[in-house]
Amino acid sequence: MMFTRSVAAVPLIVRVTLRQLMGRRRTVLLLLLAAIPILLAVVFWAAGQVDVHDFASGVLDAVGVTLLLPIVAVLFGTAAFGAEIEDGTVVYLLAKPISRWAIVAAKLVGAAGMTAFLTMASVFVAGAIVLAPLGEDGAAATRAFVAAMAVGSICYVSLFLVLSLFTRRALLIGLIYVLVWEGALSNLLPGIANLSIRQYSVGVANAFWQMKPDEARLSPSTALPLAIVLVVVALALATWRLMRFELPGGSD
Amino acid sequence: MTVQTAPPELVAPATTAAPAIQLVNAARWYGNVVAVNDVSFSLGAGVTGLLGPNGAGKTTLLHMLAGFLAPSAGTVLVLGRSPHRDPSVYRQIGLVPEREAVYPFLTGLEYVRFNARLQGLRNAELASRDAIHRVGLDDAMDRPIGTYSKGMRQRAKVAGALVHDPQVLLLDEPFNGMDPRQRLAMMDLLGQMAVAGRTILFSSHILEEVERVGTEILVMVAGRLAASGDYRAIRALMTDRPHTITIRSSDDRLLATALMTDPAIFAVELGPNVLSVRTAHLSAFRRLIAGASRAAGVRLFEVVSADESLESVFDYLVRR
Repeated sequence: MMFTRSVAAVPLIVRVTLRQLMGRRRTVLLLLLAAIPILLAVVFWAAGQVDVHDFASGVLDAVGVTLLLPIVAVLFGTAAFGAEIEDGTVVYLLAKPISRWAIVAAKLVGAAGMTAFLTMASVFVAGAIVLAPLGEDGAAATRAFVAAMAVGSICYVSLFLVLSLFTRRALLIGLIYVLVWEGALSNLLPGIANLSIRQYSVGVANAFWQMKPDEARLSPSTALPLAIVLVVVALALATWRLMRFELPGGSD
Repeated sequence: MTVQTAPPELVAPATTAAPAIQLVNAARWYGNVVAVNDVSFSLGAGVTGLLGPNGAGKTTLLHMLAGFLAPSAGTVLVLGRSPHRDPSVYRQIGLVPEREAVYPFLTGLEYVRFNARLQGLRNAELASRDAIHRVGLDDAMDRPIGTYSKGMRQRAKVAGALVHDPQVLLLDEPFNGMDPRQRLAMMDLLGQMAVAGRTILFSSHILEEVERVGTEILVMVAGRLAASGDYRAIRALMTDRPHTITIRSSDDRLLATALMTDPAIFAVELGPNVLSVRTAHLSAFRRLIAGASRAAGVRLFEVVSADESLESVFDYLVRR
């Protein structure tokens, strides 16, 4: 009974999460960010004579995977639970006879779905403008980065979701992870690739289109299992944390 | 209702039915701060007011009952089992939290229906409309909650909490923001639920709110249960305790002479431009002061009860 009720609750919570995440200011900001690869694609297209690797590396990877994906994910991932904990509405979910894993799963589907939709659409449109006319190589590169966005969305949002259940500074810590760990340290210490969601994403993309070794340091057969382990561990941790969630005593 | 920590004269007789809510020496502390201290009571069907000043531990107690806080010591049982880390208990519990926030983008009906569906109700639509009707939000049910007044949001929260007809309803300051008419309607609703056999516990820091709806009350002060039992008995204690009243008049000395002969007055103190009077019978004093001042030809400028704050009333109960 509890299991059935929990499964049935997932789409309900997903819908409310989606409406919650589509706040006006956040949506406008993220739409503007998602427009950047498309605008750059238009610039490349207008300039003519585009090389698939140049565009994939300079725009889809450097702007899409490195910048757009983690920023969208950190904003949606930390807000999915963080905003509800902040304003107290999380109690309306927790005071229900549903399993905590269902709440976590619904939040992941909602936040990762929004992230994936925005980033995949951005990369797909940018790829369609510049790479589609360049034959199979261009189409494969587009597919690869759309896949990278899908994998990256789920992984990043899982991480930021669980982070928001442990700290109120999830947004700040998330940005530090993206900028310092993945941005700076991963260039200096190649071994960090095993602990980098960016590398999981481009590693999976490698299955669709061969990237340069210095761009994708993990093979698909390594990246995909690591991504799955990350998501499973994050969801388990989030569920564990939510089961122990306590409401403060208040000022009564 | 049974109580272990309250003064014996305030303890009502125990009921024979199995209690819906039971606390046995329950305590909760945060580091060195004790929020709830060795509280024991049990409640059956009916409306009970949880009364206490700010910081008394009411919300902590309600959160323990709602399963959102584990007791640091003692036992908390709702319907015979611990509510902590047991989501299935929410099939029988409704909770109205103190915090105002409700999803602002949902309409009132959508919010209540969301609650009904998460409860797994077979006919969520019908139950939702019924709950909306019971709290009197029919006219506003299709408006986003973000446009609601504070009182309307409170009623939407109550509708969401009772849509599954819970056996136990916990409400934290439910009358906040409601106008007097809405309060009366809400009190009637809680009364009806109590008659139907539900156990309702609501917190308040306003004595008069409890008076209208709760025949039984629990008084918490500084984390401890200071008193519990029938409202009228505790109200009488609160009213008949020693009161200090300060008076400013056209002739304090003459008024003091007139008052000190009355048996209701047991101390009179004349200060610079102020007269302090102590009485154990506030209502008798109110009748006396008007007649005495008129008879003495003294004009009253100000009559203030110096210790009428709720905190002082609670403080008196604790010291007894």
